[in-house]
Parts: sequence; C-alpha cells; structure tokens
Amino acid sequence: MTIRVNPASGVPLYLQLIEQLKLAIETGAIRAGEQLPSIREMAEELLINPNTVVRAYRDLETEGIIALRHGAGAFVCASVVPRAKLMNKAQAVVQSAMDQLASLDLTEDEIRRLVENELGGRRSRKPVRKKYA
Amino acid sequence: MHEPVISISNLTRRFGAKTALNEVTLNVPAGSVFGLVGENGAGKSTLIKHILGLWRAESGKVRVFNLDPVADPVSVLGRIGYLSEQPDLPDWMRVHEFLRYTQAFYPKWDANYVEELRQQFALDPNARIRVLSKGQRAKLGLLAAQAHRPDLLLLDEPSSGLDPIVRNDILTAVIRTVTDEGRTVFFSSHLLEEIERVSDHIAMLHRGKLVLCGALDDVKAHHRRITLRFDKPRSEAPRVSGTVMVTGAGRNWTVICNSSVPTRQAIAVDRDAEIVDEGAASLNEIFIAYAGEPLPATSMA
Repeated sequence: MTIRVNPASGVPLYLQLIEQLKLAIETGAIRAGEQLPSIREMAEELLINPNTVVRAYRDLETEGIIALRHGAGAFVCASVVPRAKLMNKAQAVVQSAMDQLASLDLTEDEIRRLVENELGGRRSRKPVRKKYA
Repeated sequence: MHEPVISISNLTRRFGAKTALNEVTLNVPAGSVFGLVGENGAGKSTLIKHILGLWRAESGKVRVFNLDPVADPVSVLGRIGYLSEQPDLPDWMRVHEFLRYTQAFYPKWDANYVEELRQQFALDPNARIRVLSKGQRAKLGLLAAQAHRPDLLLLDEPSSGLDPIVRNDILTAVIRTVTDEGRTVFFSSHLLEEIERVSDHIAMLHRGKLVLCGALDDVKAHHRRITLRFDKPRSEAPRVSGTVMVTGAGRNWTVICNSSVPTRQAIAVDRDAEIVDEGAASLNEIFIAYAGEPLPATSMA
C-alpha cells in the first residue's frame, strides 16, 4: 500500500488521506479484516500531524469502512465489499485520460480543477447534491 | 479544556521608528502543533524571543505555562526545548562533551533517549563540532533541544537552508513530540508546505501585525479562490465581500476571499458575472493574498 498526500493542493490533508485509504480498500490493496497502520506510524510515515490521521480514521469509522478498537488499532470492516475489478478497470481509464491531459502540458492543479468542475456540473444537474448537501 | 501553553496579549515591540510587533494576541493550545508564518522581517523571531523571555514585553503580556518568562526563566526554560535557525554551538567541543555539558542544565535529561537519537542521526560522539556539516549541526541542536523531553518544543526556522533528509528528521521530531504524551510544538517557517503538513494551528505575521490566526482547517475552509468572468470589461476591481486580494483585468478577475462559502448565484447575479472557477485557496495563495498589502487582523478562533 502506497499512500501519498500533497500539502500544496487546496484539498485538506485528512480528505486526501480518506480518499487514498478508500482507494486502497476498494482496489483490494488492503483487505477486509486487515489492520491499518497506527496513528503514530501513519503520521510519521506521511510526515503529517497525528490529529489529521485521527480525523481521517474517525470519518472512515463513521462511514462504516473501518472499525476502531480501543487499544488495538484500526481494522477494515468485513462488510466492505471490495469493488476491486471495477475500480481497477476504472483506474486504467483514468490513467489513459491523465496521460492525454499531461501531453497537453496541463498542470496538476489545472487537471484537478477540470475534474472537480466536471463533477460539480454533473452534481448540480441532479436534484440531490450528495457531497456538499 | 486545558489552558493555553503560550498566551500572548496585545504584545507590542518597537525598535526605534520600526514597530516589530504590533498588538499581537494569540494562544497556543496544549498538544497542538502551532505554525507561525510570515516573510523575512515580519517579526517571527522577535515574537519567539519574547516567548523565551530574552526580551521583556514593552507593552502587553506574555505567559508561558502561565508564568512570566522574564520573571521566572528557570521554571519556563527548563520546560522548553529550543532550536534556532543557526544553533549556537561551541565549535571547540566534541559531540559527547557538548551533550554532557548541556545535560548539566536539565534535571530531566534522558540519556537513553539521547543515545537513541544520536545513533539515529548518525552523529559521531568524538567528532569536533567545528567539523560538522550544516545538517549535522542542525541534528545536534535538535537532539539537545529534545533530550529533556520538553513540554514545549520551540523551533525558529528550523529547516532553513537544510537538505530534505534533515528537514524530514526535524518534521519527524515534531510529530513524535505531539504523539508523545501530547506535548506542544511551536515553530516558525517560511516553507508553507511544512507548516501545512504538520500544523493544526497557524498564525500569520505581516509587518508585525497578526493578519490571520486559527485552526488550520478553519483557515483553509474559510478562504476560497473564485474566478469571475464579467459580461463587460471593467476598469476597476469587483467588490466581493470578504475580499483579501483581487487580481485580474478586463473581463476576468480572480478573488481570494475570506468568508463563509458565498453562493454562486449571489455573486453572479449581483455582478453581471459568471463564476468560471471556484475552489479552496491553497495556503500559499492565502499567504500571498495577505502579504500583498496591509490588512486588518482577522480572527477565526
């Protein structure tokens, strides 16, 4: 499992960590029942504030993706169905799209804005705005 | 809640005609990593010297562990680990001599921890300090600052001019300090990426004034970057509430603003403009926006 965060982007670090962990779980890099690194290990590995890790773990717990067992650590819930095949397929689509965008000399920030904008546009056309509601 | 580890109220300091600190008020919560940012000459080191009790408050009040650091230096400094940008180390001593010498000042010195860190930092105990590289000097300074497991680790531009490996050692020390029994870290840096990685609270000094202070998540949540495209070219900048900085010309303007998320409609309808891009402003954008021109203080606490 390789987790990377980028402090320079506008996205809060705890959200980046959540997204990365979800991806790792969905692609099967971390399986149900497996233990996540401790808060301290994760903070030292990524060189981020331990409270950021705590916040990410709590949010994942609220979403029912991981379980925090006091004193024992964080475990991926058995109920999480890995969407590995689907996600791997999707990852290939994203990779080729990124390659094309990169060949147009766009910066990381510009690509992120385009993607966010596209997602935002789709969201606002739907009656229910899931993420920011 | 715990009372703050550092509490500063209305601190002002002048050097001749120059006001180095202007009515600075801030609180550093226990167990936090508090990052202080500001360009060179903004007053960061002056503020830190007041926390250490090296300078007396001209007006206003400074309390560390609820004590006056000028009146009670022994109690305050005994609980602080301090590392400056250029650690003042005795060149003629050997590494082990320096550590033994420093140990004498701290009853709570942890010799096992020192040995652990010394090995981790690969410092030769018999090397003369004179022959150490800049990075090795920084590591030795960091080691001496941490050896008594201080309640407050105070770092003044700790990674300035150091290579990435030593910078990572410093950040690891910061993280270890707070995961360890909830001790507190206060550090100044002009490397925003570092501040953004490890801090949970930030303060921004600009020409001696505190322009921003609060929890990092709040600061980031409150500042947005909005790019507007107007129907007709404008000769003057558009007015958007909470604006910190506006750049642009003609039909296209970008605003960095500090307010609760303004609705797309409110701006677009009012201004005959369309929002072409909107997102969270990065700390770098926020920093540049505030450092661009003097602005009144904003508190998010």
